[in-house]
Amino acid sequence: MATETASDPETTGWREQWFGWFDGSLFTLIVGSLAVIVGGGLVQVSFGAFSMSIIEAWQAVFNPKVIFNAQAWEAFLLGAEVPEMNKRSLIVWNIRLPRVFVAALVGMNLAVSGAIFQAVTRNELASPFILGVSSGAGLMILLTLVVFSGLSAFLPLIASVGGAIAFLIVYAIAWKNGTSPVRLVLAGVIVGTVFGSVQTALFFFADDIGVVQSAIAWTTGSLTGTDWEQVRMALPWTTVAMLLALVSSRQLNVLLLGEQTASSLGMSVEKVRFALSGVAVLAAAASIAVAGIVGFVGLIVPHMVRNIVGSDYKKLVIGCVFAGPALMVAADVGARLALNPVQIPVGIVTGLVGGPYFLYLMRKQDKMGEI
Amino acid sequence: MSQDQSTDPRTNGSSPAEADGSVTETGPVSKTGGGLAGEELVLSYPSSDGPVIDEESITAKAGAVTALVGPNGSGKSTLLKGLADQLKPDAGSVLVDGRAIQSFNKKELARTMGLLSQESTSPNSITVEDLVYHGRYPHRGFFESVTDEDERAVDRAIKLAGCGHLRDREVGSLSGGQKQLAWIAMVLAQDTDVLLLDEPTTFLDLHHQLEVMEIIETLREESDITVVVVLHDIQQAARLADEMIALKEGAIQARGTPEEVVTEELLGEVFEIDAEVNLTPRGPRIEPLRPRHDDDDRERPTERVAHANGGDG
Repeated sequence: MATETASDPETTGWREQWFGWFDGSLFTLIVGSLAVIVGGGLVQVSFGAFSMSIIEAWQAVFNPKVIFNAQAWEAFLLGAEVPEMNKRSLIVWNIRLPRVFVAALVGMNLAVSGAIFQAVTRNELASPFILGVSSGAGLMILLTLVVFSGLSAFLPLIASVGGAIAFLIVYAIAWKNGTSPVRLVLAGVIVGTVFGSVQTALFFFADDIGVVQSAIAWTTGSLTGTDWEQVRMALPWTTVAMLLALVSSRQLNVLLLGEQTASSLGMSVEKVRFALSGVAVLAAAASIAVAGIVGFVGLIVPHMVRNIVGSDYKKLVIGCVFAGPALMVAADVGARLALNPVQIPVGIVTGLVGGPYFLYLMRKQDKMGEI
Repeated sequence: MSQDQSTDPRTNGSSPAEADGSVTETGPVSKTGGGLAGEELVLSYPSSDGPVIDEESITAKAGAVTALVGPNGSGKSTLLKGLADQLKPDAGSVLVDGRAIQSFNKKELARTMGLLSQESTSPNSITVEDLVYHGRYPHRGFFESVTDEDERAVDRAIKLAGCGHLRDREVGSLSGGQKQLAWIAMVLAQDTDVLLLDEPTTFLDLHHQLEVMEIIETLREESDITVVVVLHDIQQAARLADEMIALKEGAIQARGTPEEVVTEELLGEVFEIDAEVNLTPRGPRIEPLRPRHDDDDRERPTERVAHANGGDG
């Protein structure tokens, strides 16, 4: 329809649609998040076994020989040979910065995944792991480490696939002439309980403490030892998932009006719900593959963002794309440096931060749960 | 292309007695727009034993207001859901504009027929305007942006629903009545030929009940939209409707103009009340007197029994 409209109002309509909603609160959130990411990132690159001053770190990060070196980027993003560079730049660019990037990607994935699941289940307390993703991934991690230790090299992939399979099982259990948010959540609890038990049982069969520690690091989420390989692994899927989440924001908004209204507005609710869940699982799986199961980020970030920008998913998704990395990068600073030289899994820090924040919300808000 | 199907009781013979050609020609004649017909509908919920609606046929005349009335649990909302394709009929068919409802794709159907459910939920922080824009969902492609047509439809809907002053308010801050006006604006923005409303006035204060009725009256007089409305309040139904259909226990008990349907016998039979009915220029006026306690002791007091004209049973 409206094909004969002149191009002028069309472009203003387009501009209005994409920038009209770009209001102050979202802008503040983005700027604040970027500040936290840059600040946290600089702290991360400055401190560690090889210490350097903030200035030196800056210089290493913004070393034009690296930033404008196509060969270096090829090495980082495509896995080619790393070109010659000075020691500081090498440490910063090859060891410390990739960890920050992985943290940012993980935070982004978890936050957006949580935001989508909160719309799909129409429950503010939903997290990326609500539909069994974490239990499926956790079980596969334990199975791989304990039983099929020969497959450890494929652990990231196996964990993500495990999460996706658990999600499909949850969906199948919940399906009865269609699904409903409540049945999905209950099915998630059922699958989570059973898988969780099996997972715990598997701990008893672990041979040595190293395997157990490795399993714990994976199941609580850790960024220790991540480098460009993890960035390469997560980046494509993250890009796809974020783009899909952004273009689906209108579907998410309509889904928030309830199944019946969405359906009477002409939405194929089941299809859309499954597709959106798929996007959320993709994002969660990408983060699991590189960092294991990091809790709480996907639960609290959408919540924080919603408090600031409101429940319009166009704003919410964009807010999550920035606020998720901010929380994750900041938490990883704590995980890596708080008990130096011991590094703790970042999932422990997010849990320690997330729990009290949730308590605060619970005391402050009378009504929690409904979006 | 609409008119004919409203007059033809199809070749059957098996349909229950009350479908006895009482489909009268009283409604205003429509120019365009589409009618809506349900034929021998059998509707049930997965959890219920036995059908809620058992082989009933219903015709909503194009451009007219048809009101479904009946006591609680009589199946009027179920019937509406069946007509709206929210509930798949076990048997029978629904025709929109003379076309089988299954032949529409979902968005196409949503451009032809709008439904306002009994309870609607939305995020609190959404503005009324944004909510109304959601009514344009079926008119927009996946990547399409807002067109001038969308804007015009939204403006029109907001004006018609009389919630211009609420436009920038957040839905969470509105009263129940104001919310309902916003929701009505949303379905109006869908710009459909057929509009189904499920108890749009229930739980509203008198002012907003009258507001809602005024909107429906405007639709009846100034547009070709076919309206089917479930009303709890038989008095309101009598005042609004061109045609009324009274249900009890999933069966249609009477249909026709308000004057034909709203009678003392029918009120006794369907609603199990004694009432006095006086014909006034604004339609039949009902004075409910007392509930009937006959041997068939089906009635229970309900939470809404105080509601003056209601047909609670």
